[in-house]
Amino acid sequence: MTDNLEQLIKEAVEKALEGDMDAINNIEDRVTRSKAKAALVKAKREAVKEKTEASLDDNSESVSDSKKDKTSNEHIAELLIQQFPDDINKELSSNEHIQIQPKNWLIISIYLRDDPGCLFDSLQCITGVDLGEESDLEVRYNLHSMTHRHAVEIRISCPRNKAKVPSVESIWRIGDWFERETYDMYGIEFEGHRDLKRILLPEDWEGWPLRKDYEVQETYHGIIVPKVKEGWE
Amino acid sequence: MGVFENKFQDNVVVASLDKLLGWARSTSPWFFQFGLACCAIEMMATAASRHDLMRIGMIPRSSPRQADVMIVAGTVTLKMALRVKKLYEQMANPKYVISMGSCATSGGPYWQHGYHVLKGVDLVVPVDVYVPGCPPRPEALIEGLLKLQEKIQSERPLTRKTA
Repeated sequence: MTDNLEQLIKEAVEKALEGDMDAINNIEDRVTRSKAKAALVKAKREAVKEKTEASLDDNSESVSDSKKDKTSNEHIAELLIQQFPDDINKELSSNEHIQIQPKNWLIISIYLRDDPGCLFDSLQCITGVDLGEESDLEVRYNLHSMTHRHAVEIRISCPRNKAKVPSVESIWRIGDWFERETYDMYGIEFEGHRDLKRILLPEDWEGWPLRKDYEVQETYHGIIVPKVKEGWE
Repeated sequence: MGVFENKFQDNVVVASLDKLLGWARSTSPWFFQFGLACCAIEMMATAASRHDLMRIGMIPRSSPRQADVMIVAGTVTLKMALRVKKLYEQMANPKYVISMGSCATSGGPYWQHGYHVLKGVDLVVPVDVYVPGCPPRPEALIEGLLKLQEKIQSERPLTRKTA
């Protein structure tokens, strides 16, 4: 008797999974009917679980595949070279960063933010670098995409006496303060910034403190700034 | 003591006005509540219940007009030096300054390469007591404050100065 019932429930559930709910609804005994419905719910849940597991496996495989091939930097570099062949400095780029000419930086940044393959929604850092008195200044941008979970480093160098780089403050809002800080410390002017002024030092400060050729001012508002030379050197 | 000897009852105290003023000033030096860096955390700890500055008569005041002592607690940057000077000028006489910690005293770790740090707050305002330490423990600050109280006590505000 019980074997018969189990057989009945099994058949009804199989039919219901194919879309025929009448097979369960037509069972006359109330207890058997509810048992069949419970079995149906269980069967459906397991089906969903198997499906998601399978899709997760697919995803992890595809991610590891793309990582095996190349770093995200190289991947983005390829995209940029396709789109802006004249603005990428291939010799100075490496697999860790992309060197860019300053001229079209604003357009490139819009591409980096909006292109479905890039989608860099977060500007994580802007750093100024002074590579020594003989060489140029450099600005470095660290970008990150929450959608693709990849990151890229963009470098733009500019001459010391005419340090000008297009502003990306209108693309990533955080660029406002990052660029003001870089301007404060290195004197790099970001063209197109709405309110480019010093952010940390007082507005009447002379010089750019993190440049290698910086000289400490002798007085500040009548306060003598002694230059301590003896000691560790 | 010839003239006044045995003339007064127990509840009358006889003292010189100078000494009386010194006593009154030294036992309630209200300090100006502002901090510039990590030393301010130690200053807060000193004022809190464990060390309890109020038992030596010190109460933090939030306005320079009501304060007698300015505790410069922390690194004084050149940008801040102008403000510190202005705050000192806003305090009413008699006023005293305590330089707390090595930054306020000499620039501390920034004494050589800190382009933005004032090398000692005494370049801007006159300092009465220097408290060493980085940052000084509350006991050290209290020691400095007791030293300041001794200094105030020994002042003779009414005596004509003969130089």
